[in-house]
Amino acid sequence: MRKWKCCSFILALGLWQLLAMAGALGRTPSPVDVVKGLYDLIVTGLPPGYYLQWHLLASLERVLIGFALAVVLAVPLGILMGSSTVFDAVLDPLVEVVRPIPPLAWLPLAVIWFGIGLFSAAFMIFLGAFFPILLNTITGVKSVDPCLVEAARTLGARRQTIILRVLTPGAMPSIVTGLRIGIGIGWMTLVAAEMTGVRSGYGLGYMILTARDVARYDLVVAGMVVIGTVGFLMDRMVKYAEKRLLRWM
Amino acid sequence: MRRKRGQVGGSGTSRVIPGGTPAVIASAILIMALMFTGCGEKEPATNAVKVGYLRSDLHQLAYYVAGEKGFFTEEGLDVKEGGVFNAGPEEMSAFSAGELDMGYVGTAPAVTFAAQEMVDILIVAQINAGGSSIIVRSGLEAGDVSALKGRTVAVPGHSTVQDFLFRLALTEAVLGEDEVNIITLKPPEMIGALASGQIDAFVAWEPYPQMAVAQNVGWVLENSSEIWPHHPCCVLVVDRGFAERNPDTVRRFVAAHVKATEYINENPLESADMGHLFTGQDSEAVEAAMKNIEFVHELNVKGLQRYVEFLMEIGVVKVESAKSFCDTLIDQQFLPREN
Repeated sequence: MRKWKCCSFILALGLWQLLAMAGALGRTPSPVDVVKGLYDLIVTGLPPGYYLQWHLLASLERVLIGFALAVVLAVPLGILMGSSTVFDAVLDPLVEVVRPIPPLAWLPLAVIWFGIGLFSAAFMIFLGAFFPILLNTITGVKSVDPCLVEAARTLGARRQTIILRVLTPGAMPSIVTGLRIGIGIGWMTLVAAEMTGVRSGYGLGYMILTARDVARYDLVVAGMVVIGTVGFLMDRMVKYAEKRLLRWM
Repeated sequence: MRRKRGQVGGSGTSRVIPGGTPAVIASAILIMALMFTGCGEKEPATNAVKVGYLRSDLHQLAYYVAGEKGFFTEEGLDVKEGGVFNAGPEEMSAFSAGELDMGYVGTAPAVTFAAQEMVDILIVAQINAGGSSIIVRSGLEAGDVSALKGRTVAVPGHSTVQDFLFRLALTEAVLGEDEVNIITLKPPEMIGALASGQIDAFVAWEPYPQMAVAQNVGWVLENSSEIWPHHPCCVLVVDRGFAERNPDTVRRFVAAHVKATEYINENPLESADMGHLFTGQDSEAVEAAMKNIEFVHELNVKGLQRYVEFLMEIGVVKVESAKSFCDTLIDQQFLPREN
């Protein structure tokens, strides 16, 4: 199967290059242009002196802060909502109203609360990542076999013990799925969030906007490729961590 | 004919691998390619013009005045709003997609997109000269630009006219570009960022500087005409193909633009009221802002050339020579001839 995956990738790239060379894609840059663009971004930077690697680091910092905050808040809250019907009944309407608001709609407020740059971007990531993690945690806790809970209770376990030793481990696979979705959405949100401007002058979304402003569409696509690749790697890392940490399942 | 047509269908690569994801991807790319090539039929000469302009940009008041005063109608034109944009690059993307015939736009996006061959346009008239300012945060003392050492200053975009103006001001103040933290912010975000102390100064086009002054969040350190007298700013551009098919329509459009520009200069008070309606800003700020703008239609060719040289210096534009590039980009034949 692996061979086939590579094959589709190479085929798509080849076709893209051929179509670009035939002039069929108009002003869309070709893969070769994009590779040259990547080189430019690493060696010259955009704006000159602002190198790709620093743009990437700035974006990763924002994502990690926002994501960590989302994990710290969403997992405990999800376990509480999943294990207590009262908590669930009280908080569920609020969650359901706030959840459909796209993180980008919060942008103007984020800017007046946290200014431009690190914290407003981290806040947007947080919003993007929070709800998938929360909902998956709730679902995970609720789907733990009731027999296990009953058995623990029969053996004299207290509520706290049941939550920590039965419900949380049982919900783990679902929580990890939430983390994967959360970091993916967070990463997508970041790029848009940076497009209104950042204080440090660094960030992948900010870099793409600059490339658009100077009509360098090869650099725009190169930025997209970096974002896609990093998003893919982050997903793989969570998946790998899941395999290692949940070996007992 | 710039693009070769008819080669797309012949590639037939989707047959090579039977079924599964590869074929799906291949066909998706083919369909997209066909969509890209399907447009661009030749049209007959027309009086209808699809025009793009920037939202709330006081420099482009002539467009609003020409519409309100009926100058376009007088010239027998059917002007259609092709798009209102928040930034010049977006407007140039619309030109690239063939959505616009003519546009009121900043020199920076017009020149940059033309040099990268993303658009095929002509610059046919000036819209204004001057009209930008360096605004410093209220409460921050500064005698001149050298006081901005170590401060964060926002410009509307890397390589924009405002960016260039600020670099000129830095040179004059004997400051290096690395001694100031220059960042990009879109003008609507600048005033909020200045008010909250996120930035110490910004360089932007009117009415944003005067809005900052009216809201008491900033003050004018220097007007752009003090940095570079009569510097070119917004220009009137036309799609080259449209101009070739409809030279008379373009000439009449430029005539209406010239009339509107003269009207603004002859009736400053009434024009300020129209500026208030056009930008949605209060009349006081608009009046102050208009004093900082020169509404002119004659092209500042030397100034444009100087700006292209700057773009070449910082590596944004790669052309053989600024002069020959400007010669192909600028076309003054549509301007009314003086008798």
